[in-house]
Amino acid sequence: MRTLTSICPGCSIGCGLYLLESEGGERRHGLKVAHRTVAPMNEGKLCKFGMQLPAYYDKEALHNSVDGKEVNHEEAIEAARERLSSMNPEEIAFIALPGTITNEELVSFTSLASEFGCENLSFGFERFFRDIPEEAFYVLEHGLPFSDVEAASKIILFFVDPFVHYPLLARRILKAKRNGARIIEVSFTKNERGLADETIVVAPHEFESLREKKELFEDSLIIGELTPYTNPHLVSLMLWLQASTSSRLFLLKPFLNVTGALLISGGGKGAEKRKDLFEIFDRIDRGKIKALYLLETDPVSVLLGGEEVKKTLSKLDVLIEQNVFRTPLSEIATITLGSEPFYKKKGTIVNIEGRVLDLGGESANGLAILERMGKGRSYEDVHEEVKKRLGLGSSEPSEFEIAVTRTERKFGVAFLVEFIDSFLSLLKMGNDEERGEEGYSLWYKTNPFFWAGVRDKQFVEISPAAMRTLGLFSGDEIELVQGDLKERLGFKISDVPDDLIVSEDKLAIQPSDGHWAELHRRELLTSVALRRAKRSSTAEE
Amino acid sequence: MKSKYYLAWATDDEIRKRGANGGFVTATLVSALETGFIDLAVVIEKKSVYEGIPILTSDPEVVKDSSGSLHGVPLNLAKYVLESAPDKRIGLPVKPCDARGIIELAKRQQINLNNVYLIGLNCGGTLHPLQMRAMAAECFGLDPDSVLREEITDGKLFLVHEAEGTEKEAGMKIDELERQGRGRRDACKACDTKIPVMADLACGNWGVPQGEQKTFVEVLTEKGAAILDNALSNGAIEIENASEQGIELRKKIEASMQKLAARWNAELDVLKDLSPSERFAFYKAELQRCIHCGACKAVCPVCACEADAKCLEQHDETDSYAISMYNLLRLLHLMDSCIHCGRCEDVCPVDIPLTLIQRRFSERMQRHLDYTPGMEVTQTPPLNETKLRWRAEGE
Ligand code: SF4
Ligand code: SF4
Ligand code: SF4
Ligand code: SF4
Repeated sequence: MRTLTSICPGCSIGCGLYLLESEGGERRHGLKVAHRTVAPMNEGKLCKFGMQLPAYYDKEALHNSVDGKEVNHEEAIEAARERLSSMNPEEIAFIALPGTITNEELVSFTSLASEFGCENLSFGFERFFRDIPEEAFYVLEHGLPFSDVEAASKIILFFVDPFVHYPLLARRILKAKRNGARIIEVSFTKNERGLADETIVVAPHEFESLREKKELFEDSLIIGELTPYTNPHLVSLMLWLQASTSSRLFLLKPFLNVTGALLISGGGKGAEKRKDLFEIFDRIDRGKIKALYLLETDPVSVLLGGEEVKKTLSKLDVLIEQNVFRTPLSEIATITLGSEPFYKKKGTIVNIEGRVLDLGGESANGLAILERMGKGRSYEDVHEEVKKRLGLGSSEPSEFEIAVTRTERKFGVAFLVEFIDSFLSLLKMGNDEERGEEGYSLWYKTNPFFWAGVRDKQFVEISPAAMRTLGLFSGDEIELVQGDLKERLGFKISDVPDDLIVSEDKLAIQPSDGHWAELHRRELLTSVALRRAKRSSTAEE
Repeated sequence: MKSKYYLAWATDDEIRKRGANGGFVTATLVSALETGFIDLAVVIEKKSVYEGIPILTSDPEVVKDSSGSLHGVPLNLAKYVLESAPDKRIGLPVKPCDARGIIELAKRQQINLNNVYLIGLNCGGTLHPLQMRAMAAECFGLDPDSVLREEITDGKLFLVHEAEGTEKEAGMKIDELERQGRGRRDACKACDTKIPVMADLACGNWGVPQGEQKTFVEVLTEKGAAILDNALSNGAIEIENASEQGIELRKKIEASMQKLAARWNAELDVLKDLSPSERFAFYKAELQRCIHCGACKAVCPVCACEADAKCLEQHDETDSYAISMYNLLRLLHLMDSCIHCGRCEDVCPVDIPLTLIQRRFSERMQRHLDYTPGMEVTQTPPLNETKLRWRAEGE
C-alpha cells in the first residue's frame, strides 16, 4: 500500500486528501480515498465527489494515436507539431478548461499557442471580461479566503445552494452563522436545509425585482457562481449589486485551476486578447478555424448540447486531444496524446482562496508533451516562470498561506446598468416567446459531478403543481423534450416554482438554434417541454 | 514471564532516543519484523507534528522512522488493517479506539484477529492538527512550522520548537486550553477508555517513576506475551517488574482521566435538558444538512457493509424527508456498536455533530444490553448477532 498526498480536482476548492494505492497481492486493488485532516482548504472533509474519486480515475486511458492508428509518444508529438505548423495561425485554436491542468502546463500551453502565432486561445472564462469595467476584473480573477467567509457579518447566497454547488463552502457559511452572521439567500425557492435566515424568492424571469431590493445587499458578502454558461449579464447584475452597495462579491468557479489560468495568462487584460470559448466554436462552425488543440478538456461533457459540440468539432481538419482518459471526442480526434492522471502530476494549482497548492505527484509528462512541441524547457524552468507570473517572486509558498491575495477596488456602475437592462428585457421576451410548448424552463444546479460529465442524480425536481398537471404518480418517469431531443428520467417533488424544472445533472438539451456565439447571450433558463413518459408496455396510462 | 506488569525499554540507543518513553513499542515492532514474527506493521509515517500517513510496511527502518507521539493526527487505524492480506501477520500500535474498531471488524469477519498483534497505547486524546497549528500560533505565540515535537505529559501540552538555532520547550495546561474552546477533539474529551485493556499489550508512561525513560507495559493476552518474549529473546528490549506504587499510580491516573471524561460527556451533551420536541428539532436541523457523501460510513471502524449496505439501499434522494433514511438507519445499526471514536464527525463535510448524536442513541442502548463494543471479541453485538451468525455460517 502506498499513500499519496493529493488534491481533488472536482471544483475550485481543491480539497486535500490521500489516495491509497494498493499493490498486487493485497486484499483490495486500485485506489482508495482517505481524509487528510491537516489540509487547510477543507480541514479533512470531502464531498461526495471527492469520496468517489477512485471511480473518476478509473476510466479508460487515452493512448497516443495519429489518424486512428496507435503510435508511440514521439510520433504523436511530431505529427501534432507538423500538422499545426502547416496551418495559418488564425486557423488554429487552443482550448484548456483548467480542471486538471497545472499552472506549469498552462504556461507551456500559452507559450505554445503564441509560438504558432495563434490568438484563438480560450480558458473558458474570457467573455465575462468583455462587458465589465476593467477596474472590476479583479473580482472575476480572484476568489476569497474561506476565513473571510467565516468572518462575514452578512452573506447573500445569490442563486447558489452551497449544499449542492460547493458543499465544502456550506460549513464555512455555517461557521459565519454561528459567529452571528445573517444569511440571506436569493433563490427561486426556499432551501429547506436551514442555512439561510431569510429567503428572497425570485420568480424565474423576474430578475429585475432584485434591483429594487438594493438595500438588502448593503455591506454584505455576495456569493455567486461563474461557469462557462453563466449569463454575462447576470455577472454584471452581481457586480452592479456589489458596487452600488459597498459589498464584496465572491464568485465560485467550477474548475479547479481557473484562478491559476486567469492569473497566469494576464487575468482580465489577457482575456481581451484571447477568444471566447463560444466564439471559437462559432468560428469552427463557419469553417474559419480548422485545427483545434484541446488540453485535458472535454467540451462534450462540460457544455450544454454535447452532440452539437461533436457535430461542430467534426468539421475540423485537425483535432488534437491531449488527455488522460478517452472522451467522447477521442473517436473523432486526428491526434491523441496520452497524459498522466492528475494525482500523478508534478506541479501547482491556485485554488479559489488564492492558495498555491503543490499537487504532490512526480510526473511532468503532460508538460513534457507541450514543451517538446514548443520551447523545450525543463519543469524547473517552467515552474520558475509560474511563480513569476503569479507574482510570487522566487518564494515557494506553503499550503497554509494564501499566496495570491485580492485587493478591492472601486468601480463605476453606470455602464453596467445599460448592459443589465438589455438582459432584463431579453428575459422578459424569453418569458413570452422562448419557453417550450408546455411552458417549462430548466435551471441547472451545478455540482462537481455535473462538470465531470458523471451522472449522479438522474432525476429532476418539479413542483407539486407540475406533478398534478402532468398526472404523475410517484415512481413514474417523465420526459424532457426540446426539438428532436428527449431525455427520460425520474423526478422529485420540491418546492420549486410551477414552471421551473431544476436539475443537478446536465441533460441532453441543445442550444435552441445551435448558434454558439449566440448561446451565452440568451440562455439563462433553457426552455423545454415536460411530459409524462410513455410506458413501453401496453399497460400505458 | 510471571508478572503482568513491567517496565520496559529499548536496548538500541537510537530507538530509545527517538521513541517515546524509552522506545519500547518501536523496538518490539522492529524486532517482530526482523525476526519474521510478523510480516507487516501498520505505522504512521510522520510528515510533520501535524500530519502522519498510515502505512503498511515490512521494513524495520520505516518503523524506526515513525516512532514518537503524534497527538495531532486523529486517525482510526482499524480500516487500514483491512488493506493487508488476511493471511499476513500484522503488528501495530493502537489507541483504545483503534483496538476497539479492529475487534469490531474481527467480529464482522473482516479481520482475522489471530494474525493481528495489537500493541496498545494509553490515550489521553488527540487534537485536530489545524486546531493545533492555531494553538501554536495564538496560545503559544509560535510559528506553527517551527514546532519540532509535541508531547502530552501531566495534563500539559508541550511544544518543542526551534528558537534562534536552539530547541526550546513551551507548555500549557490542556485544561486551560480546553476552557478556551481549544484542545482535544470532543470525542476524546468524552472518551473513557484510556488504557487499551482489549489489546494484547497496554503501554504508556503512567506508573513510570519520574524522570525514567521507560514504558509501563501490561501484558493482556498470550499474543501479547509472545511478542514481548520475541523482543526480549532478540535482545531488542530490557524489562523489569513494575512496582506496586507504579501499578497504583497508573490506576489512579486512569481513574482521574475517566472522571474528567465523565464530566466532559455531561458537558458536551447539549441535548440532555431539552424537551423531546426540542430534541427532535435539533436532530432535524442538524441531520437535514447531510449531503450523503458517505464519508461517515467509509471511515467508521464498525461499519463493515460495502456497496450493498442497507443504509445506502434504503436511501433514496427522490424522497423529500428532512432527515434521510440513510442517517436513521446508520443510527439504528450502530446503536449497539458505536465506539464513539468521533471519526465520522471529523470527516463530515457539513459539520453534523455525529459523535454527540451517535452517543445519545447508543450509550443508553449499550448500557441496557450490557454490551460494550470493541472490548471482547467473543461477545457479538446483540442487535447484529443473527446477521453475524449467518455470515459466519456462510449463509
Ligand atoms: S469536488 Fe470540490 S468540494 Fe468536493 S471534494 Fe473535490 S474539491 Fe472538495
Ligand atoms: S477516542 Fe479515546 S482512544 Fe480514541 S483517540 Fe480519542 S481519547 Fe484516544
Ligand atoms: S459512528 Fe462515528 S463515532 Fe461511532 S464508531 Fe463509527 S465513526 Fe466512530
Ligand atoms: S459524513 Fe455527514 S454529510 Fe456525509 S453522509 Fe455522513 S452525515 Fe451525511
